[in-house]
Amino acid sequence: MIQNNLQRILVLLVTLVLLVNTSAATCNMVIITDPTGTDPNGAAAGSMSFADNMFQSTFIMSKEKHFTVLSGGEGNETPRLAAIVETIKRLNNGATASEAASAASSYSGIRVMTGGPTIGAAVGGSFDVYVVSVAGDGTITATPASGGLATLPAGQKGAIIHLRNTHGNPQYGTAETVRQETAIMIGKMIRDGYPATEILGAAFEEVAKDSGEKYGGGGNNLVSSITSGDMFTPAKLNTTGYPMDEPYSKECPVDGWSIAYPAAENYQTCPYDGTALKTVYAYEALANKITVTSNSTTVSVYGTDAPGVYETTQEIVQYSVKKTGYNSATIAKSINNAIDNGLLVGVNYIEPKDINIVENTRSVGVYFKPLPDHRTSPPWNLPISTSILDIVGSIQTAIGLILIILVLFRSTLISSFLKKRR
Amino acid sequence: MFIKVRRDTLIILMLAFILITSGRLMSYMSYASSTESEQGIPIAGVIVKGNDIVPTDSIRTNIANVGFRTGSYIQGNTLITSKRKVPLNEALENARQAAMLSTVPGTKATPIKAVDVKLDKQTGILTVNVIEDFSTVEINQVG
Repeated sequence: MIQNNLQRILVLLVTLVLLVNTSAATCNMVIITDPTGTDPNGAAAGSMSFADNMFQSTFIMSKEKHFTVLSGGEGNETPRLAAIVETIKRLNNGATASEAASAASSYSGIRVMTGGPTIGAAVGGSFDVYVVSVAGDGTITATPASGGLATLPAGQKGAIIHLRNTHGNPQYGTAETVRQETAIMIGKMIRDGYPATEILGAAFEEVAKDSGEKYGGGGNNLVSSITSGDMFTPAKLNTTGYPMDEPYSKECPVDGWSIAYPAAENYQTCPYDGTALKTVYAYEALANKITVTSNSTTVSVYGTDAPGVYETTQEIVQYSVKKTGYNSATIAKSINNAIDNGLLVGVNYIEPKDINIVENTRSVGVYFKPLPDHRTSPPWNLPISTSILDIVGSIQTAIGLILIILVLFRSTLISSFLKKRR
Repeated sequence: MFIKVRRDTLIILMLAFILITSGRLMSYMSYASSTESEQGIPIAGVIVKGNDIVPTDSIRTNIANVGFRTGSYIQGNTLITSKRKVPLNEALENARQAAMLSTVPGTKATPIKAVDVKLDKQTGILTVNVIEDFSTVEINQVG
């Protein structure tokens, strides 16, 4: 009798656990390939799910303190939010990853994964993860863990990947194997020296294709503080984001011209040089977005919202950096040249002090001073004062007009003049 | 030739032409070298500083909603937007309030606890300094 009751209670408990788990089904991962934090692509994190509402709150990043907080996407669910806020609070106060992630344990059914390049990574609450760690000699260890707290210690190369299937996912039941396979793949890629951001892209591809937990979500580069932002997140509440295994845009491999889907369906060749376009899948777009490459420079433009200024400035700065390196004087000179040539319109000349360079994350900030009154080019620097010029100009115009009138009525005027004289 | 033009007429016309052209050119030069404009100072951009977890775009959108957006301009102590005219100090207070309401995307958590808004009346650049504090975030039970 007691045994019977016990069984019933057990079944009830299991169902409860299952129900709770469904609300937290998603895929989270933190990948650290450079625990010293010097490689600009050395740590990455990301979230995606089959479920709705994978907003940026599911892959929060701190730009200043270089940590991430990942969770599932269940709208405004209060305990989840409380757990996230508690985790961020702890990390802001200098807690380690495991101390911060343990905040999730005080909320039932909640999972919080956190990590950063130098603080390691940890996941707390309700989860099914593989903790991958790669030793200095290339030995890969993948340890499964579920529930409580799992940690990748600070100073260790490795990753944590959480994956569960959401109810209603047509590929339901694949999570177990995909989690393991992806963990092994991540381990191998870390061993082979790929940067964390590229591994994140590859892992997203595998998870999206094989387990169907594919809607963005998005990812963060934790060292260089680049986030995919709202590239893949849902546009409205209670909808899904962009499927990460589908084409995102088409790009010309020669001149870099690109167009996003769905408009890209109609383009097969580049409109400029006719080369065949390359399809960029969403997971590639994610990796491209958050990866800092040696020939790419992140450019931020401040002071103007005018269309086109950001893109043009980015090109100019990247060109200047490629040519002469991170030198604010030469960058300022290139930008001023572009203003002179009419490439950049609506902004005033800049000085080297208006350029802010952070060399180790390859980012350049340009502070523009916009021109008033919809002007396109900066004011001229003339030795004569504006008002004198204005007055002289008006007088000359007036004299010219009077002359024309004189010519037109020349004969009448002369004859009347002559008549008077006589 | 149908019209008989005397040579001195032509010379006078030429002179008039040159005078008008150079006069107009000078007026343009005076415009091009002047630095101030008559219409007022347009809102050139919003610089957001100090935010860590709340994305800059969220804050910027909120600030744009209270009038500090492209197309608005400052005349004296008034902010003139496409919708209405607001006294400048009131507009800045609105901007401060709006920045405080910025949330972590996809949630109702508003971690911004203090905002300082500064407007450079020369350049039209609005600088918003925010302070995030996660230790005092209230989580709406109404959700």
